[in-house]
Amino acid sequence: MRFLIASVVKDLKWRLADPMALALWVGIPLIIGTLVGLATGGGGGSGTLKAKLLVVDQDETLAAQLLMGAFSQGQLAEMFDVEEVDLASGEIRMDNGDASAMLVIPADLATAVLSEEPAVLRLVTNPAQRILPGIVEQVLEVLVEGTFYLQRLFGEQLRMMTEELPQGESMPGDAAVADIATQINRAMSGLEGTLFPPVILLETVVDRPETEAFNFALLFFPGMMFMSLIFVAQGLSEDLWNERKQGTLRRVAVSPAPLAVFLGGKVLTAAVLMAGASLVGMLLAVVLIDVELSRLPLAVAWSTLGGLSMLCMFMLLQLLATSQRGGGLLVSVVMFPLLMIGGSFFPSEAMPGWMAMIGGWTPNGLTVEQLKMVMAFDYQWGELGRSAAALAVGAAALVSLVWWRLRTFAVQ
Amino acid sequence: MIEVDGLRKQYGDLVAVDGVGFSAGEGKIFGLLGPNGAGKSTTISCMSGLLTPTDGRVRIMGHDIVHEPRAAKQQLGVVPQELALYEDLSARDNLTYWAAAYGLSGTGLRDRVDSVLEYVGLLDRASDPPKAYSGGMKRRLNFACGVVHEPKVLLLDEPTAGVDPQSRARLLDLVRAQAAKGTSVLYTTHYMEEAQELCDSLAIIDHGKLIAMGTLAELRAMVGERDLVRVVGHFDPERIRPALAELPDSEVLTADQDSVMLAVKGAALQLPAVLQALAAAGGHLRETTFTEPSLETLFMKLTGRELRE
Repeated sequence: MRFLIASVVKDLKWRLADPMALALWVGIPLIIGTLVGLATGGGGGSGTLKAKLLVVDQDETLAAQLLMGAFSQGQLAEMFDVEEVDLASGEIRMDNGDASAMLVIPADLATAVLSEEPAVLRLVTNPAQRILPGIVEQVLEVLVEGTFYLQRLFGEQLRMMTEELPQGESMPGDAAVADIATQINRAMSGLEGTLFPPVILLETVVDRPETEAFNFALLFFPGMMFMSLIFVAQGLSEDLWNERKQGTLRRVAVSPAPLAVFLGGKVLTAAVLMAGASLVGMLLAVVLIDVELSRLPLAVAWSTLGGLSMLCMFMLLQLLATSQRGGGLLVSVVMFPLLMIGGSFFPSEAMPGWMAMIGGWTPNGLTVEQLKMVMAFDYQWGELGRSAAALAVGAAALVSLVWWRLRTFAVQ
Repeated sequence: MIEVDGLRKQYGDLVAVDGVGFSAGEGKIFGLLGPNGAGKSTTISCMSGLLTPTDGRVRIMGHDIVHEPRAAKQQLGVVPQELALYEDLSARDNLTYWAAAYGLSGTGLRDRVDSVLEYVGLLDRASDPPKAYSGGMKRRLNFACGVVHEPKVLLLDEPTAGVDPQSRARLLDLVRAQAAKGTSVLYTTHYMEEAQELCDSLAIIDHGKLIAMGTLAELRAMVGERDLVRVVGHFDPERIRPALAELPDSEVLTADQDSVMLAVKGAALQLPAVLQALAAAGGHLRETTFTEPSLETLFMKLTGRELRE
């Protein structure tokens, strides 16, 4: 235990002797993030990302048109790109990950609404994306709820609109409209005590601005922040070569101190540095993009765990190489594609579905996706726990391989 | 106490160390001499637990380095040939870390670090990083890192390689001081003068094998009182050997087309006769050197090569 602490203290002093390297690890991702943000039209303002919503209209009535139109009006139009498709092509495109979600409006929707019967709207979401399909779902829930109240309050009048429609006409005549309007006005007067102040409608409206105020910087920021930790992991993974080059690794190997403890010191040092880097990043997120302060501890712990899993992978790659230069190259060759598909350069919501799907299986992709949830959304403890277990088990397996390889690496 | 018995290390077909055996008692300095690539560093690597011997046994204070590595290593201090320091950390931080690796802690650790810094003459520069040190100071710190835990056995792998004469003398004093405290020391070098000056007993290693072993007096006796004469030029070995065999108190050690080496008693007096015999045998002479009896001459006698070749 004493040697473990001594190793951590030594490594921290060693690292702090070169503060410029630390600053670069944390600073470079922020610079890249800023450049990416500028290149994509602003670093996180609203409207930079749109959810592609495919709609299969099997009803083809006014009700279906109203439902589709809801996604294309006002500020929702800035968030959704609605495209009408047939079921077969929609399913193919969803399989290819070309859209955030597909809404299937059943053939009997209008009839069901008018006759107060149940109807099922089917929403197929893209599993490779987390945020945008969630927004589609929330908006749709609001619309369904609104339709329910409309149905309960003005069901009779709506039925009149269709039943009293003259043959071959798409709109009721003036007299019918006046009659319906009169009935609606009476119904409204009868409900005045309940509706005014119009609690239900107001609730619905309040619910929408929450969606509209969604900060897209939250999609970019976790990836950028985690990129800093990946750079920290990359830099620290070279320590094993540096230790060997300067002869200190051999000196450890001839001492009674176990190499496993020496390695444990490296991992703990990395944990301290990564926690520090992610704390800085999270404080920035609290100040700049209004992330809740209460989410900070979990976000720091989570990103540190993800960073350590990356460190273990990079250390193993370093030890598999035959030279320090080769090790650095090998880590870079693996790291940059991982950064690309793991959501550090671009959020998974902006990627093709297949890429986002693969990215979700990478340790950094998994970390970034959960980090988004931890920072800004309703994360699920169960899912977070499973992801943490996967990262921890993976890191433990990797560090075991590193230790196994280190024993021969130290004496070469 | 160091005990090495039948040590062998083989890499495929290459035998780096072949049946090496020796021992060094408490407070004794044992020298292992040999040219570069003779197997000195491999022997030290096996003794320190870095390499697993193919065969044989190494015991450090009675603990087998293979079967009881922690107990053996706890008693062992190693000063490697290359510097093994954290250049960006202070000398004190370096020593503190290596002391912790051997289980020291608290006040005992701090006192010991101060004591070692004073011992190697670096106390006033304790807060400076080694990158700000001269080569000799780095060597002393490297030595200090190997003895900070007060080992009972000390392995020194050519600790003075590339060091200026003043720093070398200081390092040799430090080694003597360790032995005076009762530490068993194994000292490898290819500097004969150092070995002659420092060691109680010696072994000469070449191509992985010990070719001579004993005290300095015993090894000198192997050379005898004869000087070593080396003549460089162009020769016919078939004619040279019979011509030189007629000279009294002389022995041809090696003879090839480019050089002839022979041990001659009273070479200063016999040199004209040697040169005359070589010329008479058709030799063309370019250069002649003769050396008084030493470990160097013993090595040349045993291997036909100079130690630094």
